[in-house]
Amino acid sequence: MDRTPVTILTGFLGAGKTTLLNRILTEEHGLRIAVIENEFGEVGVDHELVINADEEIFEMNNGCICCTVRGDLIRILGNLMKRREKFDQILIETTGLADPGPVVQTFFADDEMKEKLFVNAVVTLVDAKHILLHLDDSDEAREQIAFADVVLLNKCDLVPPEDLDKLEKRIRSMNALAKIHRTTNAGIEIEKVLDVGGFHLDHAMEVNPHFLEEGHHHHHDSHVTSVGIEADGDCDGKKLNEWLSRTVREQGVDIFRMKGVFAIKGGADRIIFQGVHMIMDAANGGPWGERPRRNVLVFIGRNLDRAALNAGFRSCLA
Amino acid sequence: MKQIAAVTADDNILSLAWSGDTLAATPSTGEILILDAASKMGSSLGGHGAGNGEPAWFGGSLATCGFDGKIRWNGREIHAGRGIIERVKASADGNFLGAGQGKALFIFDQDGNPSTGLSALPASVADFAWDPLDSSRVAVIGAGGARMWKFGESEPFARFDWGGASLRGEWSSCGRWLATADQTASVHIYDFSRDYPLHIQGYETKVRAMAFSADGKRLATGGSSVITIWPCTGKSGPEGVTPIQLDGHDGDVVAAAFSPKTGRLATGDGTGMVLIFTFEGDNALRKRLRLDAGISALSWHPEKDWLAVGREDGAASILSLDS
Repeated sequence: MDRTPVTILTGFLGAGKTTLLNRILTEEHGLRIAVIENEFGEVGVDHELVINADEEIFEMNNGCICCTVRGDLIRILGNLMKRREKFDQILIETTGLADPGPVVQTFFADDEMKEKLFVNAVVTLVDAKHILLHLDDSDEAREQIAFADVVLLNKCDLVPPEDLDKLEKRIRSMNALAKIHRTTNAGIEIEKVLDVGGFHLDHAMEVNPHFLEEGHHHHHDSHVTSVGIEADGDCDGKKLNEWLSRTVREQGVDIFRMKGVFAIKGGADRIIFQGVHMIMDAANGGPWGERPRRNVLVFIGRNLDRAALNAGFRSCLA
Repeated sequence: MKQIAAVTADDNILSLAWSGDTLAATPSTGEILILDAASKMGSSLGGHGAGNGEPAWFGGSLATCGFDGKIRWNGREIHAGRGIIERVKASADGNFLGAGQGKALFIFDQDGNPSTGLSALPASVADFAWDPLDSSRVAVIGAGGARMWKFGESEPFARFDWGGASLRGEWSSCGRWLATADQTASVHIYDFSRDYPLHIQGYETKVRAMAFSADGKRLATGGSSVITIWPCTGKSGPEGVTPIQLDGHDGDVVAAAFSPKTGRLATGDGTGMVLIFTFEGDNALRKRLRLDAGISALSWHPEKDWLAVGREDGAASILSLDS
C-alpha cells in the first residue's frame, strides 16, 4: 500500500509558518494537500482543506515521555485515511511553543499511522532576526531545530550576511543533518518542503561531507548537538541491535532523532535505520551494489557523549 | 436475508443511524444520505467540509457535525468554537444533544439553546457517553482515562485514571458499565456498582469495534479477527472470567452491533465479511455474508430484524433477517 507523506511544520512564534502555509495552499502545484492546523495558531488560515485541531498529547504507556503521541492527529488522520479520495500530502502545523517529539512519534508509535503514512520531513522555520533571543532559554526552540530535516532560515532580509553565516553555523552544530535554506517571506520552491523524502542521509553528506568529523563543530549549544559516526566494514547484527536498544533505553529521553545506514554481516542490502527518542524503525534500503559497505549513524540530541557513542558503535563491528 | 433498500454515498460510510424506519448514512465526506426504508425514498443533507462527524437523531431530525466545527439540525446551524466536532450524541431521554470540541463538551436543548456543559476540561474530549439513566450525567473519555461528571458540579463524581489514553466509550444501557477502547491494544471496563476499573489487555490490535448488548450483559470487542465477548453479569462482571471468543472473520473486526430486538450480534471486517451470531445459551450460531467492499459501519433497526450495513466504497444497504 502506498503511504501518504506527512510534512510537519514547526517553528517559534512569528517565524513565518502561516506565511509558508498560505504559500503552499495558494500556489499552483497540482497537489491535493490537507492541512491540520493547531487551534491556537497565530493567524488562522481560511481554506476548505484546513482542519483546526486541538494539540492533544497522549501518553501511550504509563509516564514514559518518549511514548507520547498526538491523540488529535491519530483520530483526524484515521478519519482522513478512510476517504476514498486520498490526499497527495498532509501538512501538520504545530504551535510555536510545541515540542515536535509527540508529533513525529505519532507516525512511529501508532500502528495504523505507521501503516498508512510516513514522515516526509520536519520543516522548521527559524526567524533569523530573533531566534538568538530564544535559543539560549527555550528548550522548544532548540528541539524544533534538533528535529528538523529542513530548516528555513527566514526573514534573511532583516539580517546582515555575516550574521546569517554565524547563525547557520550554530544551527548546523545543533543539527548536522538538516538541509538549511535561506528565505525571505518564507519564499521557497514548494518541492524543497514537500518532496524531501523522509530519509536523506546520503544527501546530507553530499551537502556537507565533513559533518561527521569529530571536532568539526564549535559547540555553542552544549545542550543540543549532533554526533556522527562513520565506519567501513560490516556490523554484527545481534550486537548492533543490543547496543541500539540499550542506548535508547538509557538515553532515549535525550536523543531526539537518530538516522543511520548499516551494512550487516551476511546481508547484501543496506539497512536504513531511524528513530525518535526510544522508538526505532529499520527498513531494507536495497542492495549495496558497487558502493563501499560503509556504516553511517547520526544522533541528534541533548548532552550526547560523542566518545561513548563512537566506542559503543565500534564494538558492534564484526 | 433480503435487501430491502440501498443507497450509495460518495465516500466511505462512517456512521449509520436509525430513527424508526429512516436510516441516515453518513460518509466520511460529502452529502449525508437519508433513506426511508418503507417508502424507499431518499434525501440528503449537506456535508461538513473536509470531514463529516458522526451524527445523531435529535428531536425528530438528524443533527450533523464535522471538521468544520459546525452542528446543524432542523434548520439551525451552531458554530460553538474553533476545532473539529467528531460526533454528536443525544441523551437517552432525547432532551439534550452533546458535542465534544477540544477541551469542552457543549450541551444543547431541543430549541438549540446552550445548556450547562463542561469547559476547560483537563484533556480534549476524544469521546463521551451519556448516562442512559440520568441525562444530567456524562462520561468524558480521553487522555488519562475517563471522568464521569454531573453537570453543574465542579469535580467528577467518578473517574478512572491510567497512564494511557482512551479513544471511545460506551455506557451500558443498564447503567452499570462504562467500557472504553484505548489507544493501546486494550479496553477498560468500569463497574459503577463497585467504583472499579478493569483493564483488559492482550488484544492483537487497537480495539476498533465495541458494543454492549441491549441488556448490558454482554460486551463484544474487536482487536483482531476474533470477536471477544465479555460477560458483564454477577458481582465481578468480566473479572476472572474466560470470555467467549468467536472466529470466522478474515480481517480485523472493525464494526460490531447487537440487535435491540433479537439480541443477535453483527460484526464486520475490512475484507467485506459480515457475521451474524445468534446466541443460544453458551453457543453462538453463525451466519456469514460476503460483500464486495470492506465493512465500515453496522447498525440494527431499533425494533425490527433489519440490519444496515455500510461499506468502504460508500454503499449502504438495509438487510432484512426476518424469516
